[in-house]
Amino acid sequence: MKIVVPVKQVAALDDEFELLDDGSGVDPDFLEFDLNEWDAFSLEVALQLREASDDGSEVVAVTVGDEESEEALLSCLAKGADRAVRVSDDDLATDDPLTVARVLAAAVERESADLVLCGVQSSDAVNGATGVALAGYLDLPHVAVVKALEHENGSVVVDRELEGGLVERLRIGLPALLTIQTGINQPRYANLRAIKQAREKPLDVVEAGELGLDQDALAAAAGSRRRGLSPPDRGEGAEMMSGGVDEMAARIAEIVRERMSG
Amino acid sequence: MSGVLVVAEARRGELRDVSLELISAALSVKDQAGGRVAVAVIDQQPDRFVDQLAVDGVDEVLLVPTPTEHFEAHVAGRALTELIAAESPSLVLLGFTIDSLGFAPAVAAKQGLGFASDAISLGWDGGPIVARGAYGDKLVSELEFPGKETTVVLLRAGGFEPAQAGGAAPATRTVELSLDGVAKTEHLGFQEAESADVDITKSEFLLSIGRGVEDKDNIPRFEELAEKLGATLSSSRPLVDAGWMPSARQVGQSGKTVKPRVYLALGISGAVQHLAGMRTAETIIAVNTDPEAPIFGVATYGAVADMFELADELEQQF
Amino acid sequence: MPRDPKYDILFEPIQLGPKTLKNRFYQVPHCIGAGSEKPGFQAYHRGIKAEGGWGACCTEYCSIHPESDDTMRVSARIWDEGDVRNLAAMCDRLHEYGALAGIELWYGGPHAPCHESRATPRGPSQIASDFELNTFPRYMDKDDIATVQQMYVDAAIRARDAGFDIVYVYGAHAYLPFQFLAPYYNHRTDEYGGSFENRARFWRESLIKVREAVGDDCAIASRFAVDHLLGPSSIEVGEDGIRFVEYCDDLVDLWDFTVGDIAEWGQNAGPSRFFEENHEKPYTGQIKAGDHTNKPVVGVGRITNPDTMVAIINSGQFDIIGAARPSISDPFLPNKIDEGRLDDIRECIGCNQCISRWEIGGPPMVCTQNATAGEEYRRGWHPEKFHKAANADKGVLVVGAGPAGMECAMVLGKRQMSAVHLVEAEKEIGGAVNWISQLGHSDGKENLHRGAARGLGEWKRIVNYRQIQLDKLRNVEVHTGSRLNASDVLEYGAEIVVIATGCHYATDGLNAATHEPLPGADASLDWQLTPDQVVAGQKTIGKRVLVLDNEAYYMGASIAQKLAGEGHEVYLLTQAGDIAGYMEYTLEAPMLHRDLHRLGVSIHPYTMVSSFEPGVAHAYNVWNPGHTEDFEIDSVVLCTARISNDELYRELKSDPARLEQEGIEGLYLIGGAAAPRMLVDSIFDGHRLAREIDSPHPEMPLPFIRERRLWGESSNEDYAAQLLNTADVA
Repeated sequence: MKIVVPVKQVAALDDEFELLDDGSGVDPDFLEFDLNEWDAFSLEVALQLREASDDGSEVVAVTVGDEESEEALLSCLAKGADRAVRVSDDDLATDDPLTVARVLAAAVERESADLVLCGVQSSDAVNGATGVALAGYLDLPHVAVVKALEHENGSVVVDRELEGGLVERLRIGLPALLTIQTGINQPRYANLRAIKQAREKPLDVVEAGELGLDQDALAAAAGSRRRGLSPPDRGEGAEMMSGGVDEMAARIAEIVRERMSG
Repeated sequence: MSGVLVVAEARRGELRDVSLELISAALSVKDQAGGRVAVAVIDQQPDRFVDQLAVDGVDEVLLVPTPTEHFEAHVAGRALTELIAAESPSLVLLGFTIDSLGFAPAVAAKQGLGFASDAISLGWDGGPIVARGAYGDKLVSELEFPGKETTVVLLRAGGFEPAQAGGAAPATRTVELSLDGVAKTEHLGFQEAESADVDITKSEFLLSIGRGVEDKDNIPRFEELAEKLGATLSSSRPLVDAGWMPSARQVGQSGKTVKPRVYLALGISGAVQHLAGMRTAETIIAVNTDPEAPIFGVATYGAVADMFELADELEQQF
Repeated sequence: MPRDPKYDILFEPIQLGPKTLKNRFYQVPHCIGAGSEKPGFQAYHRGIKAEGGWGACCTEYCSIHPESDDTMRVSARIWDEGDVRNLAAMCDRLHEYGALAGIELWYGGPHAPCHESRATPRGPSQIASDFELNTFPRYMDKDDIATVQQMYVDAAIRARDAGFDIVYVYGAHAYLPFQFLAPYYNHRTDEYGGSFENRARFWRESLIKVREAVGDDCAIASRFAVDHLLGPSSIEVGEDGIRFVEYCDDLVDLWDFTVGDIAEWGQNAGPSRFFEENHEKPYTGQIKAGDHTNKPVVGVGRITNPDTMVAIINSGQFDIIGAARPSISDPFLPNKIDEGRLDDIRECIGCNQCISRWEIGGPPMVCTQNATAGEEYRRGWHPEKFHKAANADKGVLVVGAGPAGMECAMVLGKRQMSAVHLVEAEKEIGGAVNWISQLGHSDGKENLHRGAARGLGEWKRIVNYRQIQLDKLRNVEVHTGSRLNASDVLEYGAEIVVIATGCHYATDGLNAATHEPLPGADASLDWQLTPDQVVAGQKTIGKRVLVLDNEAYYMGASIAQKLAGEGHEVYLLTQAGDIAGYMEYTLEAPMLHRDLHRLGVSIHPYTMVSSFEPGVAHAYNVWNPGHTEDFEIDSVVLCTARISNDELYRELKSDPARLEQEGIEGLYLIGGAAAPRMLVDSIFDGHRLAREIDSPHPEMPLPFIRERRLWGESSNEDYAAQLLNTADVA
């Protein structure tokens, strides 16, 4: 079985940061990069499936991004991925889930994967959409937000986590794409030796153009365009409630009901 | 291309509340979008929700019967694809929900539509524009969709007042689509989550208590309240320091960073270390006797009140 | 990150008579064990705080004359020009950073046993000290009064010449001026006794004389216990407390308020176990807020939270935030607030280990949270600055994230080792602190005197601080829930391996009293428990419980408190002369005793168990083994010996060839895994190894500077040279 695990090097913002002068993004000096938390879980699912099988399964980590994003791939290789692929394009608008999915689709397609395992979302962009969009491009059956999984020859039985703690159990045939929720397992870590050895493992870099994606194709794929970036309105102080304690309680109850619905 | 198509959401025979928020959002841009709002119900028995969707301003309810009893992502995806082809809306609104995440991005990708996920507000400037969080909600990003004839937006719940049903019965139209054999998954059952979970980072509703609780003996009082409200109990650091609460329940820099839908803080003044762990909550309601408490600086709503009196009253509300 | 404007008020200057205090952070006088005889220690310890932003730092209590000699406890002294020279080193260091230097002029009366000077202390009435039971003062006639007041004046002049900016007439903690004021000590019938004005006369005259001598050059301060906490028999804040402040307000430039006396000074230096932040407010807060003084007021209360500090100033409690323990735990507290680095504040946990070592009388003061406290000069350690290690290219594996392991990994991270992996078997880091910090409670009810048992929850700050720091260090990875065996370690790929696997309580009753296991002791049985098993709550504990405590620190007593608080009948036995003897040094003992007594715990000192049988413990008096006693019991808790978890280390060490083959160049053992010890010492051990990881033999501590007098004719020159040579250590 071949399992492809698309991963992302995420950016966390320092408490204090500055925007670029043109407002198009954050000054990269104020970002800290790390492997997306969700991707550690999807990778672990892949590694466990490989370990449970005796058919010479292969786990391939794939990312889209600049050279620095190779850190995320090296982390996957150190933990046990067999090889890695980075699709390189410095101009990619990596905040747009459809663009990223389009590029990933071109790379994953070459792999003929039995299973594609994505994280539910990335901690910086929080779209929760890239994985399922990728399934759309690849025409792969898919389930989103999986919190448990069992492989049974040719299909997997998964638990889909719904709002309010409800869980739906489903069976889906392979090949398929799943987006994996945190907590599904305890991701392993790499020891120092594995971290050093990860640099010896195959890591291919391909240009988006080599995958048949020119700038026009990518522009057409983009789901949106950013008009601007600004600090949130938060912090201006709360809307203060008035009246007696009973009225405040009633208002709070109303807000809670409203927010918790849907 | 014109008009707004709202995709209502139902689960296990019940319309989900987010549907009415989506209708409100749709109505807010109805005129600019071409003056038409339609609501689609994709369900085994779609007509059962028509009364609940009788909102003034909704022009039509589209009933899309499905062969599957429960939501099925590929069935929903095919239905949405065909509805868009047939109805040509400029804007399609869905909830930012687990079900929507299971199919809408695939439809948008495959059909080359405009797409935005987890939108927190909706506007119009020649076409739809939305705002959404960036960098873990530390910033707000405004998005537009140039050149897209149809744009799919997944809207975060809580941003719009739910529309009031009870208006004139809306016009309905049944849209028969060939959905047999489209499903790719087999439903095996539902399970309620185990209640023993105390992972506060996973809770959607946290009732968080602070120094104002005054005494260890008062903790059970708030455990009961949390249970009654359906919330998970968490706390600020002083209570953990004092050994009154386990450290797994601590919100803040040295505890857990949480992102619930609702964070109800009782008797928490809001030390910086605490705020760092909860400011990412979607809605923060703070109750404190001190009107100058720093927590009011980050709260969405504030109430200057005694937490015990408020707890008593709140209990009556649930 | 800039300072939050809400803290601006903490950085506003304030005038103290002729001197300007640059901000509101003030290190009140507190002991460290340096005195005037370890000038390097004195100057560098206070100097680090000045560097960290404290607006003023004071000496500890400073004896004005050999008649006030507290030996074996270490005070400062300003008896002669030699003391002036040594204390001037401290003043110079503070002035470099723009901080004011304060000196607390002290005459102890009967509380000073004069064991070194062999002098006879004088006092207002001839009553022995309430804790130095054989120290009686000589009754002071009017000549004696004039003589002692002149001692204050002479000392004040020497203090000014040494460079001090703030000169105290120290009356708190029931030292001489307070002894005159308090009827509890003062039984006189002359014009220095009886009425309030008569009792206040000695203090007032002393202030006048000191002010006349140095008041133009120095700010005059007085430290005053506004309430003796003895009720109507002595000074109460609402009566003579306020009255005295009003009476002497014209004579001071700064009031420094405290409560209680030195006989039970844990009421002032309150341990977190019984007292929360700003616990003195009900007493010290009344005076400024009630408009009874026009002078600046400083006070304490283990205040570490900047929001509390602002509230204290805004509410009119104090003008200036005083600190002793919080300044030891974090000498850079002011700068961290100023720089908006609140999450870097290393908060005091209120364990009072700092006090304990001073109370014992010998070693330097230590700090559980800040391993560099007391090491600023002699080891050249700076709490915030870390040199890149010479072998920083090495990768390090630290096994075990208890106190020693966390500290070691954190310091190695700050020393820029290329990669540090801290691997912990449990789900959370913290080790024993995680369960220990759940102790210290009883039934939550108030005791006589003040307060209730709050528990040891604040000790969890040991973990909190380190967790935050570890998170910030990009070269440190923390992995939990991962128990490593020897082959995991060997194949880890680390060049340096540190084993910090902690220790555990003996399950067979091995103990320091008999040096053998106890017959019948077996904590695998349902009815016998180790302390951690009590906290884990997996075993049912019977109605009657015997706690055997062979450590005589906090563990046995804490278990007794907890169980008695839960309604058990508890017998607490120890072979020592007192249960929890070490808690005398941490000042926790008086409150502990009140709690245990109120809870009805049956206490048996000098009593040791000979054997256990189901339902009964056979015990004997250690002075007379023939004097036996049987205790009918349902459960037993064995606080007997602790044993290192060093199996992993021993296994690794046994195969040096394999270590070499795997590229492991250094294998070290720290903390409880090396030998069970107090948390403060485990943390030090982890810190020490990391500080010296690039020394020739990291397992062997490097020598430290000993400030001793070298024998021989040239000793003074040698001493001066030693001072000069070490001036750039930090």
